[in-house]
Formats: sequence, structure tokens, C-alpha cells
Amino acid sequence: MTGGHPPGRIPPTATLFLLLAAACGGGADRADDPDAPIKVGAIFDLTGPTADVGTDYADGVRGFVDWTNRQGGIEGRPIELIYQDYAYQVDRAEQLYGQFVGEGAVIFMGWGTGDTEALQLRIAEDEIPFSSASLSHVLGDPAEAPYNFLVATSYSDQFRIALDWIARNHAPDNPDAGAPVVALMHNASPFGLSPARQGGEAFAAARGIDLSLYPMPRGAVDFTAEFSRIRQSGARYIVFQNTSGPAAVALRNARSLGIEATFICLNWCSNAQLVELAGEAAEGVMGTMPYAPLTMDVPGTRVIRDYLASQGETIAGKTNAYTQGWWTFAVFAEAMRQVLAAGGDLTGANIRATMETFADFDMGGVTVPITFTPDDHLGAKGLRIYRVEDGAWQPVTDFIQAPDPA
Amino acid sequence: MNRMRYECGVFHTRYASEMGLRPRPLQRIRLVLIAAAIVVYPFVANGYWLDLANQVAIATVGAIGLNILVGYTGQISLGQGAFMAIGAYSAGLLTLQAGLPWAVGIPVACCITAAAGAFFGLPSLRLKGLYLAIATLAAQEIVEWLMTHWTWLTGGTEALVLAAPRLFGARMNSPFVFYWLGAALAAGTALFAANLFRSRMGRAFVAVRDQDIAASVIGVDVARTKLLAFATSSFLVGLAGAMIAFYRNIVSWERFTLETSVVYLAMIIVGGLGSVRGSFLGAALITLLPALINNVGRAVQETAPQAAGLLPHVQHAVFGLVIIVFLIFEPRGLSKLWGNVKDYFHVWPFAYRKG
Repeated sequence: MTGGHPPGRIPPTATLFLLLAAACGGGADRADDPDAPIKVGAIFDLTGPTADVGTDYADGVRGFVDWTNRQGGIEGRPIELIYQDYAYQVDRAEQLYGQFVGEGAVIFMGWGTGDTEALQLRIAEDEIPFSSASLSHVLGDPAEAPYNFLVATSYSDQFRIALDWIARNHAPDNPDAGAPVVALMHNASPFGLSPARQGGEAFAAARGIDLSLYPMPRGAVDFTAEFSRIRQSGARYIVFQNTSGPAAVALRNARSLGIEATFICLNWCSNAQLVELAGEAAEGVMGTMPYAPLTMDVPGTRVIRDYLASQGETIAGKTNAYTQGWWTFAVFAEAMRQVLAAGGDLTGANIRATMETFADFDMGGVTVPITFTPDDHLGAKGLRIYRVEDGAWQPVTDFIQAPDPA
Repeated sequence: MNRMRYECGVFHTRYASEMGLRPRPLQRIRLVLIAAAIVVYPFVANGYWLDLANQVAIATVGAIGLNILVGYTGQISLGQGAFMAIGAYSAGLLTLQAGLPWAVGIPVACCITAAAGAFFGLPSLRLKGLYLAIATLAAQEIVEWLMTHWTWLTGGTEALVLAAPRLFGARMNSPFVFYWLGAALAAGTALFAANLFRSRMGRAFVAVRDQDIAASVIGVDVARTKLLAFATSSFLVGLAGAMIAFYRNIVSWERFTLETSVVYLAMIIVGGLGSVRGSFLGAALITLLPALINNVGRAVQETAPQAAGLLPHVQHAVFGLVIIVFLIFEPRGLSKLWGNVKDYFHVWPFAYRKG
């Protein structure tokens, strides 16, 4: 029993833990330095199921940051955008949010409805002003989500505007035409259901509109089954709450099946990409578009076109998601500028308080003017309705306000 | 004194001491060190690292659960996401609708998942291998469909929002607070699984995996054992689902898709099939890998913006690459790699390898 034996087991797995513990030094350096960059966190969907519009939105946000920094930043402080692709995965979003806020991000640009809802409690606890690219109506209620701001018309308001338009334009000369039958084809997710559940259904019931819902399974390439049910229901109006990719697939489907109906795209499919993907099938499609397309000539799109020209780029291939990314950030940037100009600290509470004073903030004509109050974080209540004519979105109305909830 | 620390120098005077879970003193020292590291970690880590640790803890529980079924009993399952969903929704609905306290809700949710697991395990009595994989895939699809269509129960595609339960007076969704629950549950699960395979039932699981006919010849009731394996595995997988529900306060079907099932299979393959240690290592690697790639990507972002544009795609590729590399070079996973390292030092300076 003596000697000659090799050394025994090394005390092991502990090293792994120690390594892990050692790797996490650092920590948050809150920007107290008056010239330090302003850190802004962001998650974008560049590879996930909503990457079709997500990439353009991300480019818009990055374009605005670059443009602002070239102009000398916000009150002399450059913006440092910390962002990552999160592929529309809730876990990834939670992880990146925690990481970026830990690194000192003062505001956060979010994306999906599912992940924004998942983060809602933490956003309130961390006091991080949060931009919801998700335009879910409930996120605009400060009692529920005190730090979420919607810089566009909510999905529910968009849907109500669409329903109201349908009710008013449904056979106005023929009193025997009966109630309009509307089909909402939606992304099978909280995002997709949001317009119907958060006011759309109640509004339809109050206005005597026959509304039914048809979920569009993720990744589906054929909607024949859905359309045959829609045909049976006698729906003459089909509203899409989805991104442009799936909506374009459905439109092509519908045209080849000979579906006679008026198609209306809500926010994320009323864009140039839909026209590009659906081609002929997109002709005549209506859209509730809170943000003007880049082809429209208003001051808010001119600044973007000038910036792109200075970068040797054009608006070709860029959609109103780019406008939306740019101008959404612009509102937060203005709030931060006002906080700094007033000599305040760039804290979440200060930025929020400043944003809540915004009244009719001019968006250069790309959206209705933005208003926030302490009781209402739904920045915009109205929009223009557009229609695809000869392959381009043309406004058919001026700004119209969302009808009162039923 | 020194002699006692070596494997062959340990002198057991009773069977009980020889059959202990950690029979050698050095192993016990290691255990104490790990326990100390677990206790110290939350005080040195920031929120981000705590959140990652919590994700690892949840993934560890789920991976051990899946490993009991796939690695130890040899029943391939693609229904991991479905069983996690059942655990998460049961825990959420029991606390939200039935008003049970979370401490009661979790075990009940686990039992519900175990029952569901045993039910969806019924095809295993007739089917093996790939055929069983397809049968469990059906379970995944059925549960996914139920989640999104049983609106009256699950809220459909809308997420189920839970009130944040309290743990010792603090909100459980804070990474620091949940860490203690997560660590305790992960450690408890690891201890349970390690002991399970020293018991008659656990050995029956392994016998069924290795050769089911031989197992039935020596007196193992194969049908009962398979269903028990499904139930035991699902119990733990349901626990992982319930942990997610209470940590994130929100249950949505998007978290429990087929992709979840595949990711968990990747964890146990990379970690090591039929190994509790491997389940933990695999869960840690697969959870931390995207975070690592993210951080590398952000470091590159400043110096090479062009390369950074490709990063999101690189992430997907690296994930696949890791799995392929492990399948080719070390099919028995990280657990075996760790064993190799230990063996190397064990016999050093001689080249002789064990086994």
C-alpha cells in the first residue's frame, strides 16, 4: 500500500465555476462623464421570421444614429448604439436586454410583441424608456407599462381605422347589402392577435361588422385551406396582420384562387417589399401605414433621402420600415436632447418625464404629430390610408384619426 | 493521511461506505468546492451573468430529464418542447386560475407533465428508434396545436402573464433571487438522477436501453419500465418548464416549439448521452455559446463592420458545426472529454490510458 501511485484525482469541476466567475468582472459603467457617448441598447430581427421588415427597421435606426453623430451628436455627446440580432427569440431578447442594460444603456429599442411583453416587468423595474416597435395597444397604457412608448398608431387603432373605412365604404348606395364580412388573417402569435383582441373585436361587434379570425401558421407557403373557409364565410374584406413575406404569399394565393375581395394590410405588410414580393397580386391592395414610404415627398423623408445620398445610397429597396426605425429613434433622441439641454441627468425617469411633455411633436409629415401624456403612451392616433397603384403606394386619404373605441 | 486521498488507498470497512455516492475523500472535497463556488457566484456576478447562470440551471434540469429518457433508457424523444410547455402552462394556470401558491403549483405541474409524458410514451411499447422519434414528434405537434388553439385554456397565441411569485419576500423574477431556487432545483435534480441509476429501477432503464429482450428475460417488465422512464423524464422536463414560467412571468407557445426539442437533444448529445455530468456540461455549453458568439461579434463589430454583418448567420452555422464536430470526434460528448482529462492526470507520467 505504499508509494508508486500516480497523483489522484484533481479537484475539478470547481475550476469551471471559478473560470466562469472570473469571466464576469467589469460591470456597469454608468455614463456620468459629460462627454461620454450615450449608450442605447437595441435588438433587431435580422435572421428570424420577421427579418423581412426587421432588417430595414434596423437600418433606419442605425442610419439615424450615424446621421446624428455626424451632426455632432446629442448636445455634443455621440450616440453609441449597442445592438444584436435576436432572431425573434424571446430568450435571446431577455438575455440581450439584461446585458445591454447592465452595460449602461439608458434607453432601449425593442422589436417583437412577445419579447416586449416578456420584458415588460423588468423594463418598469429598471426604469428604461423602451420603444415598442410592437404597436400592441396595451403597451401604450402607462399603468401597465410605465416605460414603454409607442411612436406610431397602435395595431388596434390601425385595425379600427380599417374597419371604420370598410363600414363607411361598404356599398353606401345599397341599403340591402347587409353587414360587411371581414376576415382578419393574422400571424399566429401575440403580435398577430393584438389588433383583434385589444379592441378590434369589440369595435366590429359595435359597428355590426361580421369579423372572423384566421391564423397564418408560421412558415406556411400555402393558404388554400384558409381561403376556402374565407370564401365560405362570404368575406369581402381581408385584413392582414403579418409581415410582408407571408402576406405576399397569401396575396398570390388569393389571386390564383380567384378570391374577390378588398385586401388591407396593417403596419408591417403595407410596404414596398410587399409590392416587390407579390408583384401583380399587390395591385389595388390597401394599407394602413403610420409611416410614410420613402417615395413620398415630405420633410421627414427628405432628410432621410439627403442622408442616404451623402452615403452614396438611394432609397431603392428601402421601405417605410426604414422611415419607422429612423423617426422612432428621433423621438427618443429629442427627449434625451431636451433632458441634457435642461441640465438634467440622463436617467430613465427624466427621459420618461420629458417624453410625457411632448405635444404635437412634428415628425416631418411622416406620421401624425406625436403626443405623449402621463396617462397615455400611444404617441399617434391617426394615419393615412394608401393603395397600391401601378406598383407604388399612393395615399388615398389624408391623416384620419382612429374612431373612438366601442 | 496522504494515502487516504487516493482511490486505491481508501479502505472501506462497511458496504455502505463503499457504495456511497461520493466514496472518495477527494470527491467530497470537490463537492465542497463546487458548493462554495455556487454560493459565492451570485455575489460576484452582475445581472447578466446571473441571468445566464439561471438559464443554465433551467436547461440543466431539462437536459437531465431528457437524458434519463434518451441517454439512459434509449427512447428517442422529439417531444421535449411539448413537455416543457405542459409543465409551464400547468404551473401558470394552476397559480393564475386555481390560485395555488407556486410551491404547490410546481409539483402538481410536474405530476401533470409526468402523466402526459407517460401517455405520449405509450407508442414506445410498440415502436423503437426512428419510429418512436416520429411518434414523439407527433406529441410535439399535437401539444403545439393545443397551445395555440385551446384559447379558453391557454389563451391561444396570446401569452399567459403570471404575477411574479415571491420567494422569501423578494420577487422571484429577479435573477439574484431566482438563482437560489434554480441552483437548488438543479442540484436536487442532479442528485436525484445520479442516485436513480444506482437503484434497481435505474438499472432497469439501462438494461432496456442496452438490450430490451435480454432485460425482459432477466425479469424486467419492459413496458412498465419504458412508461416509468417517460414519466420520470417528463416530471423533470415539466419542472424545467415550470421554472421558466415563474422566472420569466410569461408563458407563450413561442418558447416551446420543435426547435426547443432539437436544442435540448443537442445539449445531451454534445454533453454526453447517459451522463448527469454531461447533461450539465451540454446545457451550459449550448446556453452560453450564443452569448459567447454575441460577445465575440460585438468585439469584431468595431474593427470589422463588414464581418459583423455576417455574424447573425455565423451564429446559426457555428451551432450546427459544434454538434457535427462532437458527433465525429467525441460522440460521448463533453462528459467523456472531461473523463479523458482526468485519466491523463491520473496515470501521469505514464502513457497508459484507462478503459
